Amino acid sequence: MNKMLLRKSLLIVAIAVAAVLVLLRKPLSLGLDLRGGTSLILRVNVEGTSSERIREAVEQTRQILEKRVNAYGLSETSIQRYGSQGNELLVQVPGVGDLSRVKGLLQSRGLLEWYSVEGGPYSTPADAAAEFGGVVPYSDKLMATKQSGERMWYVLRSQPVIRGTDLRDARTAVDSTERPVTTFDLTADAAARFQKYTAANIGKRSAIVLDGKILSVPVIEDVIRDSGEIRGAKTVQEAEDLAVELRSGALPASIELMQQHTVEASLGTDSVHRGLIAGAAGLAAVVATMLLYYRWAGANATLALALNGLLLLAALSCFGAVLTMPGIAGVVLTIGMAVDSNVLIFERIREELRTGKSVSAALGAGFYKAFATLVDTHVTTVVSCLFLFSFGTPPVKGFATTLLLGLVTNLFTSVFVSRVAFDWELAMQGRTAKLNLGMSG
Amino acid sequence: MELFRNADLDFLGKKWRFILPSLALIVVGLGSIVAQHGLLYSIDFKSGTQTEIRWDGTPPIEKIRSAISSKLQGVTVVAAHGTGGSNEVIVSTALSREENVTAVRQTIESALSSITNSYSIRDFELIGPQVSEDLRHQAGMATAGASGGMLLYLSYRFRLGYAVAAVLAMAHDAVITVGLFSLLHQEISLTVVAALLTLIGYSMNDTIVVFDRVRENRRAQPRAPLAGVINRSINQTLSRTVLTSGLTLLTALSLLFFGGPVLHGFSLVLAIGIVVGTFSSVYIASPFLLAWDRRFGRETLSGGLR
Repeated sequence: MNKMLLRKSLLIVAIAVAAVLVLLRKPLSLGLDLRGGTSLILRVNVEGTSSERIREAVEQTRQILEKRVNAYGLSETSIQRYGSQGNELLVQVPGVGDLSRVKGLLQSRGLLEWYSVEGGPYSTPADAAAEFGGVVPYSDKLMATKQSGERMWYVLRSQPVIRGTDLRDARTAVDSTERPVTTFDLTADAAARFQKYTAANIGKRSAIVLDGKILSVPVIEDVIRDSGEIRGAKTVQEAEDLAVELRSGALPASIELMQQHTVEASLGTDSVHRGLIAGAAGLAAVVATMLLYYRWAGANATLALALNGLLLLAALSCFGAVLTMPGIAGVVLTIGMAVDSNVLIFERIREELRTGKSVSAALGAGFYKAFATLVDTHVTTVVSCLFLFSFGTPPVKGFATTLLLGLVTNLFTSVFVSRVAFDWELAMQGRTAKLNLGMSG
Repeated sequence: MELFRNADLDFLGKKWRFILPSLALIVVGLGSIVAQHGLLYSIDFKSGTQTEIRWDGTPPIEKIRSAISSKLQGVTVVAAHGTGGSNEVIVSTALSREENVTAVRQTIESALSSITNSYSIRDFELIGPQVSEDLRHQAGMATAGASGGMLLYLSYRFRLGYAVAAVLAMAHDAVITVGLFSLLHQEISLTVVAALLTLIGYSMNDTIVVFDRVRENRRAQPRAPLAGVINRSINQTLSRTVLTSGLTLLTALSLLFFGGPVLHGFSLVLAIGIVVGTFSSVYIASPFLLAWDRRFGRETLSGGLR
């Protein structure tokens, strides 16, 4: 038997086995649109335009948000940099859960400040200004309470006594009236400052401010050194979330929700189901047509197609690609396009046979002549595929990846594997070999 | 089985039979776009929210519409088409820049709760104004970039005349597909654009196979008249053209019929585009190649194999 042919066959078998092993060890992971979950795109509103600064702020934000989602028990959540301008984050949260809470956790800046109160409360900013003779002094500023119902205004000292960076830790506790509170500890440096401030201002009011809104206006009853307490949380959950935000540190910039997509798990299951049916139907139709039209050679094409599918899935798994619904469409479409290459080659072989060439000469010429065309058709598809990557949204990216990898595996199976299969067919038949390409006469 | 074994059809002679209907399709499609004041974009490109809701029993569409309209702007409520029964509705709302985007979902849910509690939200999508602007820009750039890239590659592999002819056929396919989308009142979404980009790659493939053969036959018989060579090349590749397009169409149709609503627009683009793309490589690209030859002379098309 032909040694070369044997070696090629062994190579193909080895690759197929490797592909199976890869898939067994690391099955394809499904995208959020197939298993249910939420993907969010957040914009980090960095001031200034220096790309260095934007990168730094976005990276810092990413790390802080990661801390927060981990504290929340959503360790499977992934947070990646996103977008052409580099100031966006793609957050993917599998499962749904209490989504508004997650969104609050991601979007709140967590910037805690402690001010001394100069005057208030007032029901309108104008009232406040009137108190100070028409204009709020330069050293003070006007701030509103958080409650949207009856919003009150206070005049505060411009410079906060304590800011977010002064915090060392934050926890939840229950106060004397059994209500949930968030407690925090200060760094040594800030504690000294705070002690001095509270000692000098006993009996006066101060304001605890979160993200530019006044949370509460407690009266200083005693000297406070290195820890404080924030009241006003309606639920334990609210107090916990605040603790998480304070602990993870304040975000360097505010965050804005740009895009959200939530898919319920059952819809994802439906999608997978539909994708499988569509794939099976497409595959069946293609295989039936090939067998009908090319007879034995159709079986050859089917073998190439099956191996192509296997290699494509293994390649997707290798590259850590995530299977999305458009990705499934890409796999199904690859079936149709992969078989195009076989048709191109088979038609060429038929033509060569018609000119009276011997079987092995026709095979050689058919594969050789079809190859140049195959390269051209593959390259043009690759070109359109590469531009698909510019979109970056996970579903479309998933589609582009499958299509691209499918083209590569296709070139291997339709040209190399299919050729080896034909060579086997000839070798088995010996000298009077014939090819069954479904030709009449 | 063999189709078109010794086919000898005069494609170039009968080209007008196909070019005229083609032009008519383009005119009707563009007319439809103009008449509808532009294309129907999905929220991917115009920003807003879209919620897919499954109802227990028949959804009271009017009630849902009025409940949500009282709280949000630009509300449309339609029964979900296709599979999954008629118990699903799709609610779309507009999104203004000032609105608190985080709260839109809760607003919709509270409006629905005022009608019933037996519903579930299966899919919720929110696209901010900035994102949709970026996507529109990207879609344009990607399409232009892909076309330009192919033009470059083909002028390198063939000659400029071939490249221009192929890109023209490709543009023809894209315009007809988009026009038909407008006629059929289908939304242009991001996946539809992805399908269009795939389509232009595929349409190119079809043309390349014919042109490859033209180039090969020309090298074999440099003195033969081009019209004859092109006709012969189309005939030689005819069975392959019909078979490959047919097979890819089969997979696109199985996606269209079985793939569900998520892939509906995507597979519709491919199904339309594959059919149009097959005709265009024969009736648009090839006659144009001949016209280019008559206008600029043979030397611009001869040789050209690297």
